[in-house]
Amino acid sequence: MINQSQTLQNKTLRALLPGDALTGGGTEGGKKAALAEIDASCRVPVLFFFLSGLAWLLAGTILALVASIKLHTPGFLAGWEWLTFANVRTAHLNTVIYGFASQISVGVTIWLMCRLCRIPLVAPGLITVANLFYNLGVTVGVGGILIGDSTAIEWLEMPRYATPILFISYALIAVWTIVTFRLRAERHLYVSQWYLLAAVLWFPWLYGTAQVMLLIEPVRGVVQAAVNWWFAHNVLGLWFTPIGLASIYYFIPKVIGRPIHSYYLSVLGFWSLALFYNWNGMHHLVGGPLPAWMITVSIVASVMMLIPVITVAINHHFTMVGHFGKLKYSPTLRFMVFGAVSYTLASLQGVASAVRSISEVTHFTHHTIAHAHLGMYAFFTMVMFGAMYYILPRITHREWPSNGLISLHFWGVALGIVLYVVPMSIMGFIQGTMLNDAAVRFLDVVQFTLPWLKLRTLAGLLLAAGHLAFVINVGWLLVRMFEPYRKPVVRILTGEAETVAAAKLP
Amino acid sequence: MSYGPLLFLGILFTLASSWVGLVLLPHRQMGALGQHTDTNTAAIYPAARSGEAQQGAEHYRSLGCVYCHTQQVRPEGYGSDIERGWGRRRTVSRDYIHDKTVMLGTMRTGPDLTNIGERQSDAAWHYRHLYNPQITSPGSIMPPHAFLFDTRAIGPAGRSTNALVLEGPLAPPAGHEVVPTRRAEQLVAYLRSLKSSGDLPEAPVKKEEAQ
Amino acid sequence: MSVIAFILLGSVVLLPAAGLLALRWATSTGQFRCPDKAALLPFDEVEPVGMETDCILGGNRR
Repeated sequence: MINQSQTLQNKTLRALLPGDALTGGGTEGGKKAALAEIDASCRVPVLFFFLSGLAWLLAGTILALVASIKLHTPGFLAGWEWLTFANVRTAHLNTVIYGFASQISVGVTIWLMCRLCRIPLVAPGLITVANLFYNLGVTVGVGGILIGDSTAIEWLEMPRYATPILFISYALIAVWTIVTFRLRAERHLYVSQWYLLAAVLWFPWLYGTAQVMLLIEPVRGVVQAAVNWWFAHNVLGLWFTPIGLASIYYFIPKVIGRPIHSYYLSVLGFWSLALFYNWNGMHHLVGGPLPAWMITVSIVASVMMLIPVITVAINHHFTMVGHFGKLKYSPTLRFMVFGAVSYTLASLQGVASAVRSISEVTHFTHHTIAHAHLGMYAFFTMVMFGAMYYILPRITHREWPSNGLISLHFWGVALGIVLYVVPMSIMGFIQGTMLNDAAVRFLDVVQFTLPWLKLRTLAGLLLAAGHLAFVINVGWLLVRMFEPYRKPVVRILTGEAETVAAAKLP
Repeated sequence: MSYGPLLFLGILFTLASSWVGLVLLPHRQMGALGQHTDTNTAAIYPAARSGEAQQGAEHYRSLGCVYCHTQQVRPEGYGSDIERGWGRRRTVSRDYIHDKTVMLGTMRTGPDLTNIGERQSDAAWHYRHLYNPQITSPGSIMPPHAFLFDTRAIGPAGRSTNALVLEGPLAPPAGHEVVPTRRAEQLVAYLRSLKSSGDLPEAPVKKEEAQ
Repeated sequence: MSVIAFILLGSVVLLPAAGLLALRWATSTGQFRCPDKAALLPFDEVEPVGMETDCILGGNRR
């Protein structure tokens, strides 16, 4: 039955693709490698990025919990200067953004690039060196923050003796990606590759420019704020978002076995994102001491973001229509769909908060913090978890050891992040309304936030439990790598086992 | 489809556009802003900070004060910044030309500090507040910064003039006193230097408030 | 100010011009012909369209 339908699908595929696209070895490009061969070639570098990323995730989770507790119980660990709220909060941001999220992004980028270019991993040395530089950079940077060398420039707090190390790493990653792209065996490009290529080229540029203009040769006055938010907002918009969307565009079709709803829309979505997102940054400065034209331009660009957001939403959600039953079976799909829905919500919330009348209330409040976590966690991190659930068994060629831990992970983080974002968004809005009423004493506003901040600590504990479950499962998976390969009972690696055996891999 | 060349051009071109628009143009427009001299009073604004206060700004940065305190006053009718007394007028680009790191801030867990030097000019208040915010602002969630102070035995010359007046459970053991370190002195010098009182053509102070 | 005006005017001319050139290149090289086939690129013979690839939870579904 399955074989028949596969043959049928292959016929359709052959009818649609040019003659050589499927068989490989055409006139254009080299021979296309088998998926299992590509996966196996990615094993060591991708594991490096994933494992070091997860180590930083644990560190970042602990820092987050400490910071959260400190905000409602200021006496907690107050004796140590290197553990002040500001230090811990900043160290949390930098470990999860640069240590965790970026490293997982790179791991996913490597694997996706190899798979879509249909070649085994090239230059493993280059990418491994990039990883070493990366972890060195983050360690030095976070250490610098904790000893009080933070630059106090949001998202660029790492002192200037750490950032060049990271820059080298990003440059190496960009070079590696371009080399892989040039050597690709599949000449045709899938939308995920556009997003990945754009991200790896945009980010070193952003990071390099921001470093020079803020740390090495700082510009004068409020131009610093302009550079700061041009950079910080683009880290989200031009680094994390493209990689997150590239993953969704690949994994949802792959898991449910159905092409993306509309390829036209994905083209429109990519170019409108590229055009508008990078003009958004100044909406972090509404009401601030910058020329009105800059802020207005950013508000307009923020509203224009409705175009890419709606096209992407239509594409992702319409692809899923009729396949929601599969959420029950596939952890990748669960995390991906959770992330895709959150992307839509986070973007709409972002557009709304950029509007002057709403920003008047929500700016300077916990609403912004909730929004940041909706984007970075509920969207991006969930998508990365989903990607890891798909990639890790394939590169290690082992099944996930425990379904129970997968469920614990999903429900822990899903409930945790909902319990974080929803109350904090509401609280921030009320907080902003109170702040804008000069008749309300400032300390009364502070007192109002306390119960909500305690609720956030609770949400953080749920997230931490989920992270722990995931890390245990990954650790267990790694232990299994040292055991002889057994044919799994539940076969998620269906169709690959034979090919891998042929490639003489364990 | 092989979008190769178009893709590369597009990637470079899009980011270049906002780099020119949001970074280079503002740099040209504001990067060379100077002090303003009032034609009537010959008052120069903003005045340069003292060396002590400059040092304090570095501690303000290093301690991460910016994560809970903004230094920007929104215009009249947009938020309640001016009604709350956080400034006499909105802040503008020229207010920040002396800042080595411009710390506008994005979060108001604590109040805005643009005008803290006028709102609390008493150094003793600042020391007690930094030592433990509960003394001056009960219910505050600002962490105590006791590490900016030394607890030491009172010397033969008697209590130091700058020793903190502390009562109840916060009082130091008998025969001891709590004195600010150099860092605390510099930080408080910086905080007291934060004033947004200068009249600027682009942001005049309302006359009845200026009196 | 004149520099700003120069850059703004320049980009007003250059941006649409570049866009038109890109569009001309794209149509002349057939970039818009049947783009939906690119949507099939994640699939191949081993894992064709219609094959689900990640069924872990809830027991052996296949």
